[in-house]
Amino acid sequence: MLSVDIKKDFETNGRMAFSLRAHFTADRGITVLFGPSGAGKTTLLRAIAGMVAPDEGKIQLDDCVFFDSARSTNLAMQKRRVGFVFQDYLLFPHLTAFENVGYGIRAESEKARRERARQILGLLSIGHASDRYPRQLSGGEQQRVALARALGSDPAILLLDEPLSALDVSTRLRLLEEIINLQRKSAIPFLYVTHSPADAVRAGDSVTVLSEGEVIRQGKPSDVFNAPSSLAVAHAVGTENILTGHVARHQAEEGLTWVDAEGCRLAITHCQLPLSSPVTIGIRSEDIIVSCQRITATSARNLLQGTVTHVLRDGPEVHLLIACGANLKVRVTPQAVEALGLRPQTTVYLLIKASSCHILA
Amino acid sequence: MIWPAFKISLVVVSLATVVVGLSGTAFGFLLAKRDFRGRELLDSVLTLPMVLPPTVTGYYLILLLGRRGWLGRPIYELTGWTIAFTWEAAVVAAAVMAFPIMVRSARAAIASVDPRYEMASFSLGKSGFETFFRVTLPLARRGLVAGTVLSFARALGEFGATLMLAGNIPGRTQTMPLAVYEAFISGEDRQAQILSVVLTFTSIVAIYATNAMTRQSRTV
Repeated sequence: MLSVDIKKDFETNGRMAFSLRAHFTADRGITVLFGPSGAGKTTLLRAIAGMVAPDEGKIQLDDCVFFDSARSTNLAMQKRRVGFVFQDYLLFPHLTAFENVGYGIRAESEKARRERARQILGLLSIGHASDRYPRQLSGGEQQRVALARALGSDPAILLLDEPLSALDVSTRLRLLEEIINLQRKSAIPFLYVTHSPADAVRAGDSVTVLSEGEVIRQGKPSDVFNAPSSLAVAHAVGTENILTGHVARHQAEEGLTWVDAEGCRLAITHCQLPLSSPVTIGIRSEDIIVSCQRITATSARNLLQGTVTHVLRDGPEVHLLIACGANLKVRVTPQAVEALGLRPQTTVYLLIKASSCHILA
Repeated sequence: MIWPAFKISLVVVSLATVVVGLSGTAFGFLLAKRDFRGRELLDSVLTLPMVLPPTVTGYYLILLLGRRGWLGRPIYELTGWTIAFTWEAAVVAAAVMAFPIMVRSARAAIASVDPRYEMASFSLGKSGFETFFRVTLPLARRGLVAGTVLSFARALGEFGATLMLAGNIPGRTQTMPLAVYEAFISGEDRQAQILSVVLTFTSIVAIYATNAMTRQSRTV
C-alpha cells in the first residue's frame, strides 16, 4: 500500500503561487488521481517518483520509506522502484523500441535481458515494431513501448501521468482496456492520473479527487462521480453521471440497445457494439426528470425508481443524489424541490430518454 | 619547411583536440547540470582565453609553466625539465585556446537535453553515471561533435600563445600558422601560399561539418 501525506509550497516572485496538501492512500489495483488541470496531480506524481522533494511529510510504499522529513529520509529515484509513464512517452530517441524496453531490465545475462524484452513487447502486442526508432512509431505504439519500458524495470508501483491524453479516441479506448488488463496481470498497484471522468470510472478501483492541491474525496469511482457528497467534489467531477456496464441486448427494430450498468438496465439509442462488450454511459444531470409518481405513458424509455440520499444547494440550482441501483446526480431548480417536497429518503421516479444516455469515448 | 610544420601541427592539434574534447565535455556537464556557488564565475574564467589577446594568454602560461613559474619551478626542480620551447608547450597552448569553445558548445549541448529523459532513466533504476553515458551523452552527441570540430579548427589556427610558450623553432615547435608567418617574413611566398590554402581548406571543411551536424540535430 502506498501512503502519502505531504506538503509542498511553490512560490513565484516571492508570492505563494500554489500549495500542495496531499494526504491519501492507494491500495492494490488502479487508483485514479482525478482533478482539473492545475490541481497538482502531476506534481504529486513527481513527488512520489522522487523527481521533486516535498517540503515536509512522508511517502511510504509498503515497508519502504521514500520520503520522511521527520527523519530526513529522501530515497534516491533509482532506489524507489517506481515505474513512470509520461504523458509524452519520453522514449529514448536514440534507441529502438527493443532497446528502450531492454534499457531498464535487470537481468543476469544479456540473453535473459533480450528474452525478457521480447516477452514484454509481446505482452503489449508491439513485438512487430521492435527494431523501429520512436520517431517511426505512431502515438499509440509509442505509449505501448513506454508502458513496456516502465514494466520492464520490474517496478513495485507504476505511475501513469495522463498516458492517453495525446491519443485519438479509438486508440485511447483500446489502450485503456489494455492498461486495466496489464494491472490485473502484473499485480502491482497503478496510480493513474487523468482529467477524463470516463477513464476514471472505467479504470479506477478507487478514485482520489484533487482540487487546488488538496485531496477532497477518495472512494469508489461510481460513488465519487455520481454521488459527490460535497459541492467542492461536485464541481471537480463535473455534471455528468458516468456508468460502466455491458451491452445486454439489441432491439434494432425498436432502435434500442439495452445496457446493464451498475444495477440498472438502461435503454440507449441502438448501437453496433457486440453483445457483452464493455461500455461507459454518460447521462448529464440536467437530462434526468424527477417525478414523485410512477408515470408510464411517456416517451422516455427509462423509468427508474430510487431514493433521494442528498440534497445539495448550489446557488440557483440544487443537486439531488439519488440511489437507484446505481447512484445518479440530478440537477433541478429549488422550486422543484419545494413543489415535490424532496428531501433525503423521499422515493422518486426518474425519467431518462434513451437518447440522453450517450456512449462515452 | 612545409612538411615538418604539417607533421608538428597534426600531432599537436590531435593531442590538443583529444584533451579538450574530454575535459571540455566534463566542464560543460558541470556547468550545465550542477548548480553551485560561483558557477557563472567559473564559466567566465574558463571563457577568458577566447576574448583575451592570445599573447596575453601565452604570457600567463609562461608565468604558470615557465622555468620560474608557479607550477613550472617545482617541475623543473624535481625533474630538470621545463615545458617552455618544447612541442608539448605547443599542445598546451593550442588546448588552452581551444578549451573555451569546447566548454561552451558542451554546456549548450548538454543543457539542451530534456532533463526528463534523465528522470526516465533514473526511474528505470539507472545510476547517474550510467545515465550520463547511455542517455545524456548520446542525446548531446551532435553538439559535442560540432564543438570538438570547432575546437580542432581553433587549435589548428593557434598562433599567439604558441609563439609565447613554445617559440618558433622549425622542426620542433613550428606549427603551420607559425610557418606561414616565417615564410612570409623571409619572402618565401610560394610556401606561405601552399600553407594558407591547406589551412583555409581545412577550416572550410570544419565549418561545413559543424553546420551539417547542428542542422541535423534539430530533426532528431
